[in-house]
Amino acid sequence: MIRSKDDGLRDTALSDKELNRALASTWSAQPGLWGALSTVDHKVIGRRYIATAFVFLALGGVLSLLMRLQLSQPEARFIGPDRYNQIFTMHGSNMMFLFAVPVMQAMAVYLVPLMVGTRNIAFPRLNAFSYWIYVAGGLLLWTAFIVDTGPDVGWFAYVPLSGPQYGVGKRADIWAQMITFTEVSALAIAVEIVVTVFKQRGPGMSLDRIPLFVWSMLVTSFLIILAMPAIMIASTSLILDRLVGTHFFNPAEGGDVLLWQHLFWFFGHPEVYIIFLPAVGMVSTIVATFTRRPVFGYLAMVMALVATGVLAFGLWVHHMFVAGLPRLGESFFTASSMAIAVPAGLQIFCWLATIWAGKPIFKTPFLFVIGFIVIFVIGGLTGVMVASVPFDTQVHDTYFVVAHFHYVLVGGAVFPLLGAIYYWFPKLTGKMMSETLGRWVFGLIFVGFNLTFFPMHILGLQGMPRRIYTYQPEMPWAGLNMFISLSAIVLAAGFLLFFVDAIRSARSGAVASANPWGASTLEWATASPPQPYNFARPPVVGSREPLWAEATALPVAAGLRVDRRELLITGVVEGIPEARESSVGNSIWPLWAALATTLTLVWSIFSPWAVVWGSIPVAVSLIGWFWPKGVLEDES
Amino acid sequence: MKREMSYSNGAFAAAAIALGIASGALGWLGESRELRLDPPVASDLDGFRLMPNGISGTPPESYFALGKPYETDAYNLSQGKRLYAWFGCSACHGDGRGGAGPSFLDGWWLYGPEIVSIVASVRDGRPHGMPAFRDRMTTEQIWQLAGYVQTIGAYKPKVAAPSRNDDKQTRPAENRGPAKILFDQGPAGVHPDQGPSP
Repeated sequence: MIRSKDDGLRDTALSDKELNRALASTWSAQPGLWGALSTVDHKVIGRRYIATAFVFLALGGVLSLLMRLQLSQPEARFIGPDRYNQIFTMHGSNMMFLFAVPVMQAMAVYLVPLMVGTRNIAFPRLNAFSYWIYVAGGLLLWTAFIVDTGPDVGWFAYVPLSGPQYGVGKRADIWAQMITFTEVSALAIAVEIVVTVFKQRGPGMSLDRIPLFVWSMLVTSFLIILAMPAIMIASTSLILDRLVGTHFFNPAEGGDVLLWQHLFWFFGHPEVYIIFLPAVGMVSTIVATFTRRPVFGYLAMVMALVATGVLAFGLWVHHMFVAGLPRLGESFFTASSMAIAVPAGLQIFCWLATIWAGKPIFKTPFLFVIGFIVIFVIGGLTGVMVASVPFDTQVHDTYFVVAHFHYVLVGGAVFPLLGAIYYWFPKLTGKMMSETLGRWVFGLIFVGFNLTFFPMHILGLQGMPRRIYTYQPEMPWAGLNMFISLSAIVLAAGFLLFFVDAIRSARSGAVASANPWGASTLEWATASPPQPYNFARPPVVGSREPLWAEATALPVAAGLRVDRRELLITGVVEGIPEARESSVGNSIWPLWAALATTLTLVWSIFSPWAVVWGSIPVAVSLIGWFWPKGVLEDES
Repeated sequence: MKREMSYSNGAFAAAAIALGIASGALGWLGESRELRLDPPVASDLDGFRLMPNGISGTPPESYFALGKPYETDAYNLSQGKRLYAWFGCSACHGDGRGGAGPSFLDGWWLYGPEIVSIVASVRDGRPHGMPAFRDRMTTEQIWQLAGYVQTIGAYKPKVAAPSRNDDKQTRPAENRGPAKILFDQGPAGVHPDQGPSP
């Protein structure tokens, strides 16, 4: 074993002012464009990720307005059937793969290192790589849509519709390859989060002191690691079927069409919880802060998170009730689907108990939490309804299902997310968002959402199918559709106002203090926005609510070097310090690696040889990425 | 704040460049779908001119103005493949390798590989058993089918060529270049098994 001389400058030898100066010069990114492209600061990348995801949210919202325009009256001629197919496919794919999952992970990229009291996320260069890959996947999908080659097979891309015989042209390939991009980026972050939470928590942050948001992101990351490989296998098999002529989904040659549905929903159902569990963490955090008390039933909440994560993998067949599966299987999955109501209900009751026992302060983030509880419970109720096979058989592929999953996804994820943006905006930007506008935003979105999506339940029960580009005047749907389209304008106005508020506040909002809400978790123990090194000295955690327990001064750890990027590695269970570890510096190579990967993946839509030739630039960029620095790793 | 702005400008520029490159790459695929051909265009397409011996000729100008859609557009080629099955072409031509009728994959085109020759063969029929389909198919369908027939026999697979069907596989799919393997240059001169020349 090589023992190196450790003679670096330690923080114990420095005054606060000197320490901050030394840390800033060690941890800052270079100025200018090069610095922006090569930074590995989790806060910069997290902010970028969040902003990009919200751009995709806005784009997906525009698509939904286009659909509402076309459906506002019978036999409307605004959008043709082919373009409409692309639009609803783009809306779903964009919202699920480019908005919902990335934005939740992006919040984690920004917040988890701060909440556990470390200086950067684990594998910071992988983090940068993940962002570039994500942007590339989004650009691929949207560019294809702009040139009229957008996927038109639904966001689930069932074979044989998406298969070689019926999925004509490159449209379905672009969908499948976009999946590859987003899954690579999602898996990268999931791994970073798991390692950050397990090994980089502040000293003293034992498992039972981890903030609930961090717990939720940990469980979510495991869901991603277990679920995403299924869809990557599925989409890769699909591309192989289409391009190379393999027979994974060709029954005539021993393939199986149903295999696609199983692989897709084995990912697709956990996907719902990948989106929902982070929201659970956000709600728990916001509820605790605005009721001025810890969340009721911490252990129960954590157990519910884990239980939801486990159950998430036993539900997928309820998406396939009309696919002609054996009765026993259907019954089993009905039961397991209803079982998910237990942990979900437990969480709802824990929040209600917290609010009941606390003194709620009705600021904007808390309003969104209230909206979340109302809407999510309605979505949960229709969820129990569609979990039953006879009912599902009636409403399958109707607007009832559209209403149900918008209640669950928008209510369960977007409301908490908007609340979280209002809540963490001061930490993200150093500015407060407007409370007055915030109330308007909440009001418009809450009312607009319910007026838009509640009538869809009725439309569905009246038999209006999903994914139709128009309907005949004889159908009794015209009035409600017009009403929904008008309500969608209210909803859109709410989102527009939200974007206006966010951009305006980022430029000229009131300056935020370090802890404007008086919250209890560690991200509020540092400046808003935090310095590049997050904490001048790593905080030591002595309780579950460190900032409430240590009202005056937080205990800190000392002895870290300041002339290199150094952070503390702690034990998984007790959070006992184990080592000082170097964290990598800025690098441009993740960007090159992402560009090489993008080249390979896009090229492979056109020729299988791309995998062979494209591996050369990928290998070159990885060699550059991991090029030895001539310094011992522990010393780098 | 100023630095933030330059970041975002850079990001926008990068995005714009990437978007440009990607549009260029995808634009030429021309996948915009026209589900029903304009009747005036259809009647114009019907008016192509053929050489007096019935081999080769020239398509109307409008065909080039449209960008040769029946040879390069994935949707039309795939419609052609469907029509090939629906109109029973395989009864004589098999999976493209021929049977009672000639093969499309051996590199030998009795009336030339130009699309107008193939359109004329389908529309008007040919001696020795090829029936005329002018009263059974629309002009658009005839062009789609002709484009498909030309594609399966191409020496080099087109990017837009259809992929395999969900059937038993008898030969590589059109996008894998089935004619590459089966193309037999043969002795110079008339192919013996193609029947008498016209």
